[in-house]
Amino acid sequence: MAIHEKSLIEPERLLKHDSLVVDGVDVSGHWNTMIAPRTITDYDDDFEAKIQKYGGGENVHRCWQCGSCTNSCTVYAQNVQFNPRYWIYLIRLGLKEEIVKDKDIIWQCVSCNKCTDICPKDVRPEGVMKALSHWMEDEGITGKSPSKIFDEEFLDQIYKTGRIEDGKVVQNFFKKTGQSLFQDWLRVFMLRMMKGLPIMHLMRMGWNTVHTPRTRSWGRTGEVLKAYVQEQKEARHG
Amino acid sequence: MGDTVLVVGAGPAGLSAAANVTAAGYKVVMVEKEEVLGGAPILSGYARLVPSGEWAKDAIGRMVSRVEEDANCTVHKNAKVTQLDGEAGNFTATLSNGETVKAGAVVLATGFTHFDSINKPEWGFGTYEDVLTTTQMEQMVSSGKIICPSDGRVPERVAILLCVGSRDRQIGREWCSKICCTVSANLAMEIKEISPGTDVFIYYMDIRTYGLYEDKFYWKSQEEFKTKFVKARIAEVTASGDGRLLVKGEDTLVKRPIVIPFDIVVHAIGMDPNEDNPEISRIFGVGLEKHGFIERAEHYTNTCGTTRRGIYSCGAAYAPETIDDSISQGAAAGARAVADLHALVRKAG
Repeated sequence: MAIHEKSLIEPERLLKHDSLVVDGVDVSGHWNTMIAPRTITDYDDDFEAKIQKYGGGENVHRCWQCGSCTNSCTVYAQNVQFNPRYWIYLIRLGLKEEIVKDKDIIWQCVSCNKCTDICPKDVRPEGVMKALSHWMEDEGITGKSPSKIFDEEFLDQIYKTGRIEDGKVVQNFFKKTGQSLFQDWLRVFMLRMMKGLPIMHLMRMGWNTVHTPRTRSWGRTGEVLKAYVQEQKEARHG
Repeated sequence: MGDTVLVVGAGPAGLSAAANVTAAGYKVVMVEKEEVLGGAPILSGYARLVPSGEWAKDAIGRMVSRVEEDANCTVHKNAKVTQLDGEAGNFTATLSNGETVKAGAVVLATGFTHFDSINKPEWGFGTYEDVLTTTQMEQMVSSGKIICPSDGRVPERVAILLCVGSRDRQIGREWCSKICCTVSANLAMEIKEISPGTDVFIYYMDIRTYGLYEDKFYWKSQEEFKTKFVKARIAEVTASGDGRLLVKGEDTLVKRPIVIPFDIVVHAIGMDPNEDNPEISRIFGVGLEKHGFIERAEHYTNTCGTTRRGIYSCGAAYAPETIDDSISQGAAAGARAVADLHALVRKAG
């Protein structure tokens, strides 16, 4: 007999061999289906400290699980799977595998900060959600968010030239996020700009986008800056 | 005699009652069944007390020497009251050492008995050497060294299980023992202080660090000493096979079964009625309430009263009680006893 209500069991816990013979008896296929237990067998004692090193996660150890954050949460009202209280508990005990299961919703925090306002222990759950999202990004558990891609493009230009070219940032951002450059708002923006006829400005923008000049005497500053940022990051997160 | 109060039991409550009676100018005869004074904090070797943080032997030691040096206080150690005759204002007590005491009033400061963890065999006490009670852990803290009794290694992880012998209908303990949450939070901090590499987990159903104990013990242990509080009532403690212990239960916040390895498991044992209470009830003619503690009289106008006139009680004899509140109640019971004597003196005069 097959297992009823398989949908209630996480797929990775359903163990099945396509062909299996035990003591001469062929039990291939669903006959050998087993369900791995849901038991939690250990805590990761260092995980809480790791999250605390991300901005916003510093106070996570204060939580006593009252549930005020979840209760006040804007996103929870839309989706009961979005439960900051629960994730904070998982962080505290280091139950990483459980957290990763919710990787596709944790980043949905809208930063309304109602949780942070209401928290009786000053855990600042909104910050914890941010810290958690950043950790998942760093670990490659979630893809890069559009804002992260924007930041990277921005920084990349600084390192290289010591300055930002707006036109180039916008162009590369749209390219890297797979968006069309012909956005309605951008067209309106450009048209209005042309209407004022700042010809020299437009020409300079065009020229700079193509030639990407460096700030005067920039030299090795970009490399040093990049190395320093990397060093700081490593010192923080190891 | 109209100027003497008989105080039974020399724990924090009894010592406080005695000191307050003599301070009012009356005499005390104190009867203690053990050979040392001080009660549970001294007999069980408690470490630092809640909430003062003073070592038990210093704090309670002061109370003991105050009574021992008091010329108006006669102490009978290793003795019990075997018979009590008479009535309020004119009691005669016969002691097990053959002495007879005449007293105008009696204060029963007979305290409690620690819950015996053997009665919850599924939690491994008596089976595994590294399963301890809070009193044993207090003694370990007093010794200044946190190690596994089985092989002397420093524990990586200690689990404290709350409500052992409390809030458990299965074993007829339907009361909260009141002190264990705070004592456990305090113990977690003491363990971390002595052994910074040891992580302490407290398994709880509710945390009842009431009043000012909230931030001073619960919050502090969590925020400054990184104690982790896990909401689970443990089902079973077993051996892991590699020298550690496995704590099994359900984490009710994750809704998942847990089987977590630990090096030491501590039972936060509760307070039972004094095991001698049936005998005390018979000898002194006082009633016991349904759990077996001494029955409290109507409290509003008969504070510290029992079911028998002229006999007062205080502290953990009535119900699970903190040391500080036992001391306050002892003073109150002393005042009630003294008021009886004072009325007698006025009548005689």
